[in-house]
Amino acid sequence: MADTLVHAVPDPAPVEEHRRAPRVRRTPTTYVLRFVATAYLFLLVAWPVSLVVVNTFDDGFGSIGSLLADPDMVVALQLSAYVAVWSVVINTLFGVGISLLLVRYEFPGKRLLNALLDIPLSVSPIVVGLALVLVYGGRNGWFGPTLAGWGFQVIFSTPGIIMATTFVALPLMIREIVPVLEEVGIEQEQAAESLGASAAQRFWRITLPSIKWGIVYGVVLTLARSLGEFGAVKVVSGNVLGQTRTATLAVEEKYLNFDPQGAYATAFLLAMVSVACIVVVAIIRPKNHA
Amino acid sequence: MSIEVTGLNKKFGDFVALDDVNVTIPTGQLTALLGPSGGGKSTLLRIIAGLEKSDTGTVTIEGVDATDLPAQKRNVGFVFQHYAVFKHMTVAKNVAFGLEIRKRPKDEIEHRVQELLKLVHLSQFSHRLPSQLSGGQRQRMALARALAVEPSVLLLDEPFGALDAKVRKELRDWLRRLHDDVHVTTVFVTHDQEEALEVADEIVVINEGRVEQVGTPDQLYDEPANDFVMSFLGEVTHFGGVSLRPHDIELETSPKLAGSVEGTVHRLVRIGFEVRLTVLTVDGDEVAVVVTRAHARALQLREGSTVWLTPAAGATVVPRMAAAV
Repeated sequence: MADTLVHAVPDPAPVEEHRRAPRVRRTPTTYVLRFVATAYLFLLVAWPVSLVVVNTFDDGFGSIGSLLADPDMVVALQLSAYVAVWSVVINTLFGVGISLLLVRYEFPGKRLLNALLDIPLSVSPIVVGLALVLVYGGRNGWFGPTLAGWGFQVIFSTPGIIMATTFVALPLMIREIVPVLEEVGIEQEQAAESLGASAAQRFWRITLPSIKWGIVYGVVLTLARSLGEFGAVKVVSGNVLGQTRTATLAVEEKYLNFDPQGAYATAFLLAMVSVACIVVVAIIRPKNHA
Repeated sequence: MSIEVTGLNKKFGDFVALDDVNVTIPTGQLTALLGPSGGGKSTLLRIIAGLEKSDTGTVTIEGVDATDLPAQKRNVGFVFQHYAVFKHMTVAKNVAFGLEIRKRPKDEIEHRVQELLKLVHLSQFSHRLPSQLSGGQRQRMALARALAVEPSVLLLDEPFGALDAKVRKELRDWLRRLHDDVHVTTVFVTHDQEEALEVADEIVVINEGRVEQVGTPDQLYDEPANDFVMSFLGEVTHFGGVSLRPHDIELETSPKLAGSVEGTVHRLVRIGFEVRLTVLTVDGDEVAVVVTRAHARALQLREGSTVWLTPAAGATVVPRMAAAV
């Protein structure tokens, strides 16, 4: 039965198509556009951020050293990291769940849910903070006194900070996963189903590996956003030194207290973590996932 | 009987995909579900596989009522038009998937995978990712993956539809011979009548959600149940109130045969060895006739020639339906 296929088998598989350098015509317009884009990014992003770095290292590693020697500052950095990690965990779990719901199921109110998911991006974080206080505030909140009665304080405490941060970073994970899920489609899962895989097996063996890179980008964006969150956290944290003061709040405080050196150093640390995330992902991501 | 479908109805909103479908598919044969796009054949196949739920009706597979069984418990192999390969797994892992789900011992899985890859001629590609295979190779891998679990029926949904003509023809022959070796009850969906006639033991013609006819390729071609089946399985022309094949019309330049009808050649197109004519008869019919190049040359046919037409002895003839044009 092999005869017709004998010649078909050794055919060279069409391995990833060679990417030819696109032949771009270089006209004066190309150079003008290039100059405008570069200048725009330089003035808006590169220059200010590089000045933070320059100012941080004005006197060598001194400012970073003194920062890490301050126990309140260490607590602030730890709190920021703790909050960011929780926000990433919560947003990942709910993000995957909600994305599956949005892509794979039809239900009444789907468009409404979709619109609701963009609110955290469109509303000022201050509003988010105030809204949370209205619901969970310990004294006057809608639900807060009940929780306080059970000995659980949300506002002016770590749970409130985590909630505010999670709220603000909520859409990032979903907006990363949804397009990936849509592109992957449902046929692989149906194939797995017909091969005998249960719903859980299909999720762990097929769905999750297919959306892996969407989740990774989602985690990076969520982490960066959560570390940098300021407005919502400022409203709900109460800014108690050594307890509910996060690193971003410390930056503002130091700046207002005429300690720009400390503010620059803290800002630098925060920025470095985000940059590191993006660099790590750029390195580990497979080439064919352009 | 391997698969029995009774009283199947399925609607998508207002659209009737299947309308009271009853089909029996015999064990160990290669059956084609043939029909135009949107006719319901894929829906029928997906309902048999459990990937779609019917509104009413029952599906029995190997004597077991499968109507309410989820796809994962039906033990059917399903092959998709666009392969549905597991992109993140190697070829070997793809084929092993069903066996791993069934928790078979490791060495047994490895042995079986090697065996199947050999069967589909992909042994040397076992460590590649599907993205490094051509379309035909991917589909052969998908076939091996479906066969790995030793399904009671193998269902293929337009398996060669996404491949180019040459590979398509090759895989078609290969599927036929594979089936002769493996003998698993196989049902495949196609809209290509040539594919169905060439490969299938039995053909189920489906149109607008209804089964038009069930039979062997010869039965369908020689004794079509109606005008639709006849026109779907090959070219058809209308002559003297009946439908028949253009090559089943005798053409002469003088009225030699009894009952022949006079006409004029309106158009003449030569395609390779055959010549296609459009003849306007004195009865007002516009008849398509196919003759060989040699025949046309011998009769010195050209546009405007006067000819006499007669249905050939033994021609397949179906009364013309009012609705059909």
